[in-house]
Amino acid sequence: MSLAGGRNWRTVAALLALSLAVIPLSLALGNIRVDYTLVTVAAGGAVLGIVCGVLGSFAVLRQQSLLGDALSHAALPGVALAFLLAGRELGWLLLGAGIASWLGVLLINSLVRRTRLKQDAAMGVVLAAFFALGITLLTYIQSRNDASQAGLDQFIFGQAAAIRRQDVVLISALGLAAFLVLIALWKEFKLITFDPAFAQANGFPLRLLDVTLSTLIVIAIVLGLQLAGVVLMVGLLIAPAVAARQWTRQLDQMLVLAGIFGGLAGAGGAIFSGLQQGLPTGPLIIVVAVAIVALSIALAPERGLLWRAWRQRRDRQRFAAQQVLQDIHRHATQHQDPRYPAPGGMLVALRGPLARPALRQLQREGLLQAGADDDWTLSERGLERAQAAARNQLLWERYRQFGEELGLPAVTVDPQQPIDRLLPAAALARLETLD
Amino acid sequence: MATLEALLIDLTLRVTDLQQLNAILGDPQTTALITGGLVAFAAALPGTFLLLRKLAMTTDAISHTVLLGIVLAFLLLAALPGLEADLNSPWLIFGAALAGLATVLLTGAIQRSGLVKEDAALGLVFPLLFAIAIILISRLTDDVHLDSDAVILGEIGVVWADARSHCLQDCEPVHITPDDPRAETGRRCTNCAELDIGPRDPAAEFEEYCLNCGRYTTAEAWRARLVPQAPTQVFWPRAITSMLLVALLNLAFILLFYKELKLGTFDPALAAALGLRPALLNTALMVLVSITAVAAFDAVGSVLVVAFFIIPPATAWLLSDRLAHILLLAPLGGVLASFTGYEFSRGNLLGIAQMRDLLQLLDETIGLDGFTEWNTSISAAIVLMMFLFFLLAWVFSPRQGLLLSLLQHRARRQHFAEQLLLGHVHHHQGTAEAASELAQDRLHLHLGWTPRRTQRVLMRLRLRDLVASEDGTLQLTARGERSVRRFMALRGAGGASPAGD
Repeated sequence: MSLAGGRNWRTVAALLALSLAVIPLSLALGNIRVDYTLVTVAAGGAVLGIVCGVLGSFAVLRQQSLLGDALSHAALPGVALAFLLAGRELGWLLLGAGIASWLGVLLINSLVRRTRLKQDAAMGVVLAAFFALGITLLTYIQSRNDASQAGLDQFIFGQAAAIRRQDVVLISALGLAAFLVLIALWKEFKLITFDPAFAQANGFPLRLLDVTLSTLIVIAIVLGLQLAGVVLMVGLLIAPAVAARQWTRQLDQMLVLAGIFGGLAGAGGAIFSGLQQGLPTGPLIIVVAVAIVALSIALAPERGLLWRAWRQRRDRQRFAAQQVLQDIHRHATQHQDPRYPAPGGMLVALRGPLARPALRQLQREGLLQAGADDDWTLSERGLERAQAAARNQLLWERYRQFGEELGLPAVTVDPQQPIDRLLPAAALARLETLD
Repeated sequence: MATLEALLIDLTLRVTDLQQLNAILGDPQTTALITGGLVAFAAALPGTFLLLRKLAMTTDAISHTVLLGIVLAFLLLAALPGLEADLNSPWLIFGAALAGLATVLLTGAIQRSGLVKEDAALGLVFPLLFAIAIILISRLTDDVHLDSDAVILGEIGVVWADARSHCLQDCEPVHITPDDPRAETGRRCTNCAELDIGPRDPAAEFEEYCLNCGRYTTAEAWRARLVPQAPTQVFWPRAITSMLLVALLNLAFILLFYKELKLGTFDPALAAALGLRPALLNTALMVLVSITAVAAFDAVGSVLVVAFFIIPPATAWLLSDRLAHILLLAPLGGVLASFTGYEFSRGNLLGIAQMRDLLQLLDETIGLDGFTEWNTSISAAIVLMMFLFFLLAWVFSPRQGLLLSLLQHRARRQHFAEQLLLGHVHHHQGTAEAASELAQDRLHLHLGWTPRRTQRVLMRLRLRDLVASEDGTLQLTARGERSVRRFMALRGAGGASPAGD
């Protein structure tokens, strides 16, 4: 366990190094001029990406991914009201957004608990209604014709380019506070994420913890809104987490990886948007984040699609080799000569196109000898192996037929497994002597 | 489309006259009402099934991704020779339907890989497709009217402006030839440019030519005063036709496949076993959602259209649990919300209050710097109305309303308190400690209640003649005795006292 953990941490470290290397590389390749604005925007993007990635992991693991979508829309009336009451100051706008999203969470929860509406419908209702309220307030604000209202609609699409240095500081402070809460309640959050029933049975205040965790997710959404905007926020929240999930099975490693991926996407998208005038930052960040997901799904060890395809191919070849070896042995036995050669054409006809690579592999392993005329003969070791396999098969067959009758210990019948390892010697002896 | 509109005009002219029809169609208010009602009707039908299949958020995803379909179809049309890139082209609807389908299929494929859960798969696919669409739009030239603001918000108030003209009478195109009496002639110099001389030069030669010859459509001819009479024209808003078509399509689909949809929704396994292909029907439903979302784009925008799909069916579901009733209630509620919502956008809150007065009140109390002009997006106002209806249904629903459960909770509490008090009296009356336990002014101490609550419960019991007091000591009446016995028999409690003290 600790060994596997250690190897996975090495994977995490390697991915971190890779991510850190990608940014200067892309700067060099894209021939992008590094200036003060770009550094600020990229730093803001990275910080926001890290916060969203880490906190979004919980939304993904609790199968509440679309909650992010609903809540980012629900933030809009809060933003508009805060603007009406306090003006265009980031802190107030974030507070307004937070309160509105938080009310959205409570409304969704109570709709699910008190009516027959399911989670998806509750989210849809809250999303649309709150957004409409936000639009109403926004049109009212626009009708006031304040010059300062310019930039409010950035909240709909996100505008990383408008991030100032003091904003980055504020975002970092809020993100840090959220992380501290996360660390303080680590055990509790882990429990309610993976086994809420157990948590409740052990007297943890489930609903309070639930609301606290949702509040952290709200914080991530509210902070991320400036980067990705209302519509795309859900992508920024869950894509890093989904990518991270492919590389590890442990929560702590997943959070770290999600932070790394989120930071990479945030900074990367911000940098790419500097490539050309008028390229929107939010959508680019989402494209980078989803690209990371696609790479992870393809490449991740043990889970990834490539890994899976490779393993499937290997298993199939191994199986074919085993079958071919037995075919040759059976053929030889029929001719009452263990060295009787089998023609390759016959094997292909029996086992299909996989027989050729299987023959070559068996030859490499020294189990077969190739004759002059596409003839294949078992070697000494090949004969041993084939006899062992035949015996294994026979014993399994007998076990399947008479195991219960003889009162042998119950194991799952799997002729691919060596039966010696699964049954005790006495049971094997009974099977051997059976006739 | 044009022939369909002609047919519609023909039909409407049988019940009304031309002047009235043009007045209706030329009025932003009535066209907005008609369009809003059609959107609400069209969306509520497939929305009901999506809601019951727990796919409500899929409508949100689809309504975003159809944007990519529109953009791609638009770019393709612009790139292909011989086809005109036009935002009213039916090819755009085709592209949008494909995009909606792609969303569902892509989500399904990611989910089937077993690496990503369903909700997360949807949450990955639609932001990606939407992001690509936004990036493409930002690359389009400025003269294309497809900015992202319009797509997100939509504006139902300008639907009337995008109309197709239909000519009914005096529709002959006018062809003016030089012999026509209406032709105007002028003279021009034929050799001035050649000889580099002015028209006044004696060497200049002239010819007569026609100033206004050529072909005119009827409207152009009328504008140029070539025909004595204005052609009789009807300006039919395109949005009304497309929404009407979509509404009819949805209605036909649901009427045709009602049984299959019902079974596929509530028991997909049985539907599959009976060979009803629930998966195929599901896909068809998604295509309908995509088409409806696109058709509603201009009117209500991509985010708010979700409300039209989800909120009216959800409201209806709170009120009834019969599919047929929901299918009737949802479109009705949606249309009603459209009408009241339109009024609301003009400042009339259900006829109860005027928004201007409310804003004035707010201005006086918290201060709005004197901005009391109520001005809002019509579609947002409609959605707010839908939400208001939803909240009302939630509070007053006869099955699971908040009010009902509050009343039930109260009734149960009262009943329990009464039984407790009766039990207490039953337990102690006729015993040695009766005088202290049943003294009316000390009773609340034994029950652990406040004196006021004790008084209220006692009052109710006295009114129903279950308890009487004698010298300040309580006693059960004959009725009260019967009630306690019945209660205890019901609980199977035998002689055990319900009130331990």
